Order: sequence, then C-alpha cells, then structure tokens
Amino acid sequence: MSLLSVRDLTKRFGGVTAVEGVSFDVHEGTIKAVIGPNGAGKSTLFNLLTGFDRPDAGSVTFKGMDLLGVRPCRVVKRGVARTFQNTQLFEEMTALENVLVGTDGSFRGGFIRSAMRIGTRAEERSARSRALHFLRRVGVEEWADTAATDIPHGVRRSLEIARALATEPELLLLDEPAAGLNASETHLLRDALYRIRDEGVTIVIVEHDVGLVMDVSEEIVVLDRGCKIAEGPPLLIQKDARVIEAYLGEEGAADDN
Amino acid sequence: MELAELLQYVVAGLKSGAVYALVALGFTIVYGSTGIINFAQGEFFMLGGVLSVWYYNAGLALPLAGLCGVLTTVVVGLLFERIALRPRRSAGALVLVVITIGASMVMKSLARHLFGPDEAMLPVFTPGPSLDIGGVAIERQTLWVWAITIVVVIFLTWLYKRTRFGRAMRACSISHDAARLMGIDTARVVMVSFGMAAALGALAGLAVAPLTQTAWDVGGPMGLKGFAAAILGGLGNPLAAVVGGLVLGLLESLSVAFLSSTYKDAISLLVLLIVLFVRPQGLLGRARREKV
Amino acid sequence: MKMLRRGKSLSRAGKSGALVLALLGVVMLIVVPLAGPERYLLKVLDFVGIAVIVTAGLALLFGYAGQVSLGHAGFVGIGAYTSAYLVSTVGVPWLVGVAAAVLLSTLGGLILALPSLRLKGHYLAMATLGFNEIIYVMFREARGITGGHDGFGGIPYPSIGGFTIDTPLGVYLLVWAVAALVVFFVWSLVQGRPGRAMRALHGSEIGAEASGIDTVKLKVRVFALSAALAGLAGALYAHAIGFISPSSFGLDQSIIYLAIVVVGGGGSIVGPVVAAILLSLLPYADALLPNLSQSTVTLLQAWETDIYGLTMIVVAILAPGGLASLMRRRKGREETVSA
Repeated sequence: MSLLSVRDLTKRFGGVTAVEGVSFDVHEGTIKAVIGPNGAGKSTLFNLLTGFDRPDAGSVTFKGMDLLGVRPCRVVKRGVARTFQNTQLFEEMTALENVLVGTDGSFRGGFIRSAMRIGTRAEERSARSRALHFLRRVGVEEWADTAATDIPHGVRRSLEIARALATEPELLLLDEPAAGLNASETHLLRDALYRIRDEGVTIVIVEHDVGLVMDVSEEIVVLDRGCKIAEGPPLLIQKDARVIEAYLGEEGAADDN
Repeated sequence: MELAELLQYVVAGLKSGAVYALVALGFTIVYGSTGIINFAQGEFFMLGGVLSVWYYNAGLALPLAGLCGVLTTVVVGLLFERIALRPRRSAGALVLVVITIGASMVMKSLARHLFGPDEAMLPVFTPGPSLDIGGVAIERQTLWVWAITIVVVIFLTWLYKRTRFGRAMRACSISHDAARLMGIDTARVVMVSFGMAAALGALAGLAVAPLTQTAWDVGGPMGLKGFAAAILGGLGNPLAAVVGGLVLGLLESLSVAFLSSTYKDAISLLVLLIVLFVRPQGLLGRARREKV
Repeated sequence: MKMLRRGKSLSRAGKSGALVLALLGVVMLIVVPLAGPERYLLKVLDFVGIAVIVTAGLALLFGYAGQVSLGHAGFVGIGAYTSAYLVSTVGVPWLVGVAAAVLLSTLGGLILALPSLRLKGHYLAMATLGFNEIIYVMFREARGITGGHDGFGGIPYPSIGGFTIDTPLGVYLLVWAVAALVVFFVWSLVQGRPGRAMRALHGSEIGAEASGIDTVKLKVRVFALSAALAGLAGALYAHAIGFISPSSFGLDQSIIYLAIVVVGGGGSIVGPVVAAILLSLLPYADALLPNLSQSTVTLLQAWETDIYGLTMIVVAILAPGGLASLMRRRKGREETVSA
C-alpha cells in the first residue's frame, strides 16, 4: 500500500489551471521528486496536499485516510510536514526556538498548567535536547542560539527542514530545499536527505536542481503546465521525449528564475 | 408614510451619504496606494471644518477661508506622511496602524488646544431659502455638498482613467514592486495620495460645517463612518467608496425613518462589524486569498 | 515586522526581566506600604495597579501574538459594570461578582475573537474599535443597569468572607497583590510553550500552522485571556474607586492601553509593565512629587493625550522595540535593533 495516494487532483485559479488531473503514489521509505518547468504547478500541489489550499477536484489519501479539507495544523498532526519555497521561519526567534516550536506539537498540557510551571522543567529540557538533535540532523547546530533573521540563506532552508522534522512526520514535503545553495551545501543537503530517509521518513521533494534530483530520488514525477507528463525512475525520465521537450520549451523563453 | 416624507429621508440620506463618500474616498485612496488604513482620516475631516472656521473668524472671506482650511489640512497630511509614515514604510501593518492611531490622537488633542473645546459653525455658502422640489425641501447647502462630491468624483475619474499619474496610482494599488519596476516613483504616489485624502476629508468637513457644528472631536465618529462606508463598498475601489458612502447614508436615514433616531449612530457600527465579519471585501469587491 | 526583539534566546533576556519584575513587586507590596503613603498617592497607585493588570493581558495579545485590539477598555468596562451591578444592586458576595465579571468579559472576548480571526492587522483593529464603540453606547444607554451617562456610584468595598477591605491601604494591597499574581502568571506563560507558540504566530502565521500550531485556537485563547484579565481589572477598579462611568471605558482609554504596550515593547512583559507604571503615573505626577507646581500638574493633565499619542508615534518610528529593546541594549548584549 502506498503511503500517499493522489488521484485526479485539480486546481484552477480563475482562468489559470494550476494543477490538472494529477495522480501519483508515494511509497513508504522512498524519496520521490516532483519536477517541471516554472509555473508547472509544483508549489500549488504542495499547498493542496498540506491543507493550505482546497482542490477543485480529486482526492488525497494518506495512510488510507482522506487528507482533503484538513487544516494545515491537523495535517501536521497526521504525520505530514512541509517546508516552503519562501521560508516561513520565525525571524525573531533563534534557530533552536524555531525547532522547539516544531517539537512543541507533542507537548501535552494547556495554558494554565504551563503558567503554573507544574512539571514543565523536565519537559522543557527534553524538548531542548530533542530540538538540538534535529538541528544536528541537518547540520546546523552551530546556529542554535542565533536569531533566524541573522542566519545566512543556505542555512535557513536547512533550519526549516529541521523544524519540519521536529514534528516527527512520516512524510516530509520539501519545496525547493536546494534553492540558492552552492555545490558543497547541496552535497550536505543530499547527505541529510539520505539520513532522513534512512530514519524512516518518506520524502517528496520539489526541486529545480536536476543533478540533486537525479542523485537522490528513486522516482520522479514530471509536471508541465499543471499536468503530469511523465513518471518513473531517474534514468527513464532523463530520456523521456516529452520531458525534454517541456524543458527545452522553457529554455527558449527568457529565464527569469 | 407619504412619498414626500420618504423622499425627504432619502434626500437626507444622500446628503450625509455624499459626505461619507468623500471621507471614504480618502480611506480608499490611501489604502489603494499604500495598503494601510489611515486611522487619522477622520481628523482630516475635523481639520477641514475647524480650520476653515478659524480662518473665517480671523477675517477671511468665506471662500478664501474654506480654501485655506482645505490647503492647510493638505499640508498637515503631507507632513504626517513625510515625518511619521515614510521612515517606517517597510514595517508591517502593526507598526503603521500604531503610528496612524497615535497621529489621530495628537491631531485631535492639538486641535482642542489650539481651537478650543467649543463647537463652531460656518455660515452657509449661499444664503437663501431651501428649494422645494415636489414637496421635498432641499437646503442650498445640501446642493453644495452634492456639487462638491460630484466634482470630486468627476475629477478622480478623469485622474484615474486619463492621466499618467492616475495610472501610476492604479499600478501602486496592485503592487508596489511591479510599479517600481515600471519606473513609477512610488514614494511620490504615496505622498500625493495622502495629500488627496487630506483634501477630500477637509472638503467634506468644510462642506458640512455650515450644516452641523464642527469641533475638535468630530473626527472620530466621522472617521468610523467613513471607514464603514469604504469597506461597505469595497476598500481600494474609488467607485465602491462612493457607492458605500451613499448606501450607508441611506441606511442611516431610513433607519431613522422606520426605526428610531436613537440607533442612527449604531447603524454604521453594525455595518462595520457585519461587513468585516461576513464579507470583508464589501459589496463591490472580490474575495482575496492569502498566498503561500 | 521589527517590533519584537532580536538576538539571544528568551531565557537569558527573561532572567533579567524577571529580576526587574520581582524588584517592582517588592517595592509595590512591601516598601510602599511601609513608607506610610497618604490617601491620594494610594488612590493613584490603585489606578496604576489596575493599568498593570490590563497591560499584562494586552502585552500577551499585542506584544507576543501580534494582534491589535482597540477595544480593551470595553472589556474593562464589562468587568466593572458586571461586578458593580451584581454586588451593589443584586447583592451577591464580592468574590462572586468578580468571578462573574471575569466570566462575562471572557465571553465578550470570545464573541469578538471568533469572527475576527480571519482579519489581519488594521482590519482587526477596526473590528475591536467598532466593538468598543458599541459597548460604550450600551453602557451609556442601559441606564437601568449602568446608570448611564451619570455613572454608577456607591459601589461597595471588596469583602471576602465577612471581612471587608475598606481602608485605602487595604484596597491598595488587594489591587497590587492581584497585579503581582497576574504578572507572574503571564510571565510564566511566556517562558514556556504558549509563549513560544504566540511568538511563532507573530513571526509567521503560515510557518506556525505548518509546525502544528492551531493558530485559530491560539488567537482565540490569547484574546479571551487578555479580555479576562481586562475584566478582572475592571472589577477591581469598580470596587476600589467606588464610582464608574462610561467615559472611562471608551475608545480613548483603549488607545492609551495600546500606547502603553507600544512604548513597553513587544516580546516582553517587563517592558509593558514598566511603561504602564510610568504612563499611568504621568497625569498624577503630583502624587509622587508633591512639590510640583499646580500649573505643571494642570499642564500635564491637559496635555496627557498629546503626550501619550506623541510618545506612541515617536516610539513606533524611532524605537519600535519600545522600552524592552532599550533595556536589552543597556544590558550590554549584542543587539542589532533594526532601523
């Protein structure tokens, strides 16, 4: 059984069709990539999967349960976490605190109890050590006490991944994690992705960096103008005529990324 | 109720509606160019009336006093934009809300200090008996109010549709970044928007000063009503502001006609809350979604 | 949005803030009574204590969760009139009156918060403004219950069990004991998870939602809590002063509360508390400095609103982090306060 099942997902914005009849499966313990030229609908897809937007048609099933119409915070509780193309970090909080927000999801207890400081010290300490663990997982623990707004670009994306991991998801959706990373940073990201996958987290990654995608993913879905035009292992996708045409068509136009 | 009586209420509604429309236009123009709500807009209305009275009492002829009153208010608006808002333009809505609220406090309080706590009135622009049209009495000053509003609407329509600057304003209301990429001086658009908003508020204040008394504290209630009118129509759209103003004026007037006058002021509050909670984009606006 | 502090983690900033708060507590609860203050000063300090309670709640809502409210004076009024009416007119015990006051203002907070959730920044400000105006009209028009424009007088002193607190010093200690408890409660809240969640909400609502925070529930809770505290303050106010009228619960007062948290700074409890003390003492400076000339006092009171408004603007423009950021800078910590 696949972990995530997407069937005929469709989303239109006024006259523009962002996603049209997209279907695919994601199997547990794999890394799947979603690629496609700009405007292919990749981010919209993530928004639809994580509750930030509602589709006009189609279905999304996660672990056998319907995921549509579920609010983003509940989607996270179900075990699906994501990062954003424009990182949504808490700028005024430190890296550690950002990740702590992720771990906080598992905290039980309300306002009153927290204010009375009943039994919170031990919980706080364990939360902190877990948060540090996630920072280490993506290799950014040296920034733990730095405010997010002072953290360099390359680290920011990894920090957001750490925060997403802190919610202990089974499925992790990464929206262009390699954007703006140099070669060595991308290499570190690749290793981090392997580590995450080996710890049992399934990953779906939207990416433009074709090299990373070819390396890291076991399966690739190709979108073009909202439609799925190909799906398969990297080697086959590389040779797929439709994929090449979709990308070549984009190269002809002005590159404004 | 007789037709004539009903029409009388309609006239009253259209009169106050025109005033609300002017104030609402001030809100909408600033919102369109800057994306913020200027909590001090009501004080521009107040300043228009209070300053004109002051100039008139200082000896200026009525037309000149009015003109000076409006121009002085425009200066205040421009100064406000330059000193208080521009330094913080890039800050989030929170800071800007705070600044405009603080400014309205200061303007109101300064007006009290400078012009005293008492109410004052201007003489009507053209003295004479009210006109009688089919049994409905229309005061001459009311005609002035409508005339001013119509001229303003025509002017704004011309500005937006036929001038380059109008197009620049429209571009800014869609996206500052895109406008700047097109070479538009967004800072100047913002400045002019504030000047216009001040002028509109002041004109409204001047126009009604002969009808109702003006004083240092009339800004708050009018600002609230103007804003309610603006969002009733749909914030950001000048035509919607006018529609919203007239509709609100009619709603108020008809509530006095059919319910009772004690609830007149509550109508605008109710409209405000209902629109905010039920349909924030107003009658003529389109629903906006948050983009991730 | 640069109104929150940047730099080191909260725990370190929190410690020095805690020290200042503890010090204030000692001064207000121990030093002041021992100094044998006179009636007038005690009455003034009652006002200050009540402002501190309202400020604590508003600091959470605005300074941490980043939601604007221009309606909190309305909640104070709800608390004041509820307790005054129930204890004075109906005759319930004082504690029941206060409890009902808190309950009703919390309810008011919930009723306002639930539809307002989708509104951002200035829209929310407008909704709370509208709310305050409606509440004010209600206070003025419901003469049977509130006494309307003329006010509600003869409100009895607080009494717990059979014991009535009817001396100026007793009332003062009651108000400040409650204020101390409230500030401690709020401060503890922000040290831990709820505070982090609020700051996350303010930092990026999308990011917060994507991290598993139920932003809707959080906003409602914080709003309701701040309304509850305002109601509590109102109840205390009614019984401490003995007379209430609608004019104390209007929009002008709400703006003053907002000014206090703006000056105090976001992301801090101690900043707003200090600001509350300073700003509420301002018009009554003659209580602390009896040698102030009458003309200075009159001047201060006449220009009170201007001073608040100007301070608010100046702080927002020049030092958006408020007192809190200034205090952090003086501690010598490396801060890059944004321009």
